[in-house]
Amino acid sequence: MRISDYIEQSFCNLWKKKLRTFLTTFGVVIGIGALVSMFAFGQGIQRNITDQFNKVDLFNYINISARNRTGEPAFSPDPDDPDAGEMGGAAAPVDADDRDAPRLDAQFIEEARKIEGVEAAFPEMRFPAQICLGDKEQFTLAQVLPADILRSGPVPLRAGRCYEPREPNELILTDSLLRRLGVNEPSTALGREIEVATLTLDFSLTNLLRMAFSRDGQGLPFARQSYRFTIVGVADRLPFGGMSDVYVQPEAAGAMRKLSLTSIWEFFRPAGETASYSAVTVRVRSPKYVAPVKKELESRGLRTFALMDQLEEMRTGFLIMDMFLIAVGMIGITVASLGIVNTMVMSILERYREIGIMKAVGATDSDVQRIFLFEAGMIGLLGGLFGLVLGWGVSQVINEVVNALMARQAAPRMEYFHFSWWLCLGAVAFSILVSLLAGVYPTLRAARVDPVVALRHD
Amino acid sequence: MNSDSFVKTENLTRIYSSGAIKVVALDDVSLSLREGEFLGVAGPSGSGKSTLMNLLAGLDRPSSGIIKVQGKLISQLNKQELALYRRYQVGMIFQSFNLIWSYTAFENVAFPLLFAGVARAERNERAGRMLAEVGLGPRKDHRPAELSGGEQQRVAIARALVNQPRILLADEPTGNLDSGTSNQIVKTLSDLNRNQGLTVIMISHEEPLLAEYADEVIRLCDGKIVGREKMR
Repeated sequence: MRISDYIEQSFCNLWKKKLRTFLTTFGVVIGIGALVSMFAFGQGIQRNITDQFNKVDLFNYINISARNRTGEPAFSPDPDDPDAGEMGGAAAPVDADDRDAPRLDAQFIEEARKIEGVEAAFPEMRFPAQICLGDKEQFTLAQVLPADILRSGPVPLRAGRCYEPREPNELILTDSLLRRLGVNEPSTALGREIEVATLTLDFSLTNLLRMAFSRDGQGLPFARQSYRFTIVGVADRLPFGGMSDVYVQPEAAGAMRKLSLTSIWEFFRPAGETASYSAVTVRVRSPKYVAPVKKELESRGLRTFALMDQLEEMRTGFLIMDMFLIAVGMIGITVASLGIVNTMVMSILERYREIGIMKAVGATDSDVQRIFLFEAGMIGLLGGLFGLVLGWGVSQVINEVVNALMARQAAPRMEYFHFSWWLCLGAVAFSILVSLLAGVYPTLRAARVDPVVALRHD
Repeated sequence: MNSDSFVKTENLTRIYSSGAIKVVALDDVSLSLREGEFLGVAGPSGSGKSTLMNLLAGLDRPSSGIIKVQGKLISQLNKQELALYRRYQVGMIFQSFNLIWSYTAFENVAFPLLFAGVARAERNERAGRMLAEVGLGPRKDHRPAELSGGEQQRVAIARALVNQPRILLADEPTGNLDSGTSNQIVKTLSDLNRNQGLTVIMISHEEPLLAEYADEVIRLCDGKIVGREKMR
């Protein structure tokens, strides 16, 4: 029998039982639709995250943090940190190494810039700030970011321009913060004056006296300072691991009195010692420099962190997520394949005599089996194609709804589902495969029909 | 080719067993046909006529004994070879016609050609010609339900012969037909036998029909041949 005849036969036979074919196929459509949209969601999320990282080339950054030094309060987030506990003899050199570790200060940044492959080095500094625009106030974290780093593109601008190093009073804020401050159109904010207020610990005599006699509960030694800035640019908020809502230049930050969030101990440092940072970020020219630069920094006794290292871990995480989504999607497919088995068994019982006729006119067992397998495969093909369409349609609707909701929070538009060509092909192929597997038992039964029994007249 | 034994059985026996009970459906049947002969098989129901027919058609296998067709041992063939034997060497018609209800007359006739791997154009041509030969050219697009019993049996004959077999096996072909139509059908078989040299083996319990058309009639009872009669 020719392939084209098998296909035509199976199609004709299915067409004769439209309702049953439709219902069985619909089961497969739902199963494949669910599986495809689940998988596309997993793919979409993965792609968004890796794209985002690539876009802001997060893989080019190395984060350096200082180890705790004698004289500073012993604080370590890591219980295994040798600095925090008692030291064994074997680890003693590391300890010694630690004491030699450079302070993360302006001089260190100068040195770091000279390492082969390093493009830029800047302190990781964030401080809490009260942002006032007109009569609205918002509390947020301000990030210190040099103009040259900003210009290299980690933060995409929606309107305006980067700040100029010559103009320390220029500032950039995110679209999201702007909305919270009551401005919906980013371009209208450009050039406006904005007030940034910081808090500092104030142990001055006047403040202490004020605190002592206060009756309104203002029992904290904080002082508030206000600085005026001009908005020159509006940035998109990063959807994942967004940095901060406000960006200022190191020159401006240096002039401000502030409470650094990442280095609260800074304020306890003895007078006369130069300012040091809790963390410094280094940007390398390309990801291939990450490993050598890390090595160089670590040999100086510094602790480093690069997202690059996390990539493998992230991939494992994605794999687990995919597995989970597929497992959920497989429930539908399993139910659908039982439907196929049921339909095929029914169909074979109904066409018992017809199978006898096939054999009487010269069909081999495998001819008979293939006729029915093609029917099962056809259900799989149709189910796969329409399932793909359904899955795609449903994902588009969900995507639109989620984006509409997210837009209210000023999150940038995102495609939460990703349909790659191999997902589409794979879904249809998988659907056919599952249907064929479901057809194996019924079609074997069909092939084994005894023509003498089937043709015996009642 | 030895024309004396175009179809030959020797000590053909078929025993059905279900559990401990054994039923001897066919018992030591030996017969021989020349090419182009019209053999009638008579006997009461349960005498083993249909069992003999199924064995000759390659739908069933004997418990012992042999079947030889055109010198080939049919009783030794495997399933695959039996299917090919049924496809190309024998055609079969039945009391209940066994047409596929959802197919048109034309599609029923063309059906065996599918398994033979014949291309569509040739299928159409051959099926059309066969239907015209049995006088049903104008009714080719009718389904079995729209045809009379006699017409249905003609469709079955056309289907049985579409692969040009040399042997036609007819299992009570007139059992569901009135006497006038029965006569016409058997006449058709007889014409094919005389004009085209088709070897015909027909089961019937209507002995006058057999007497009129068959060359030889054998009589079966309880699975044994109990009588042989040369008609001409």
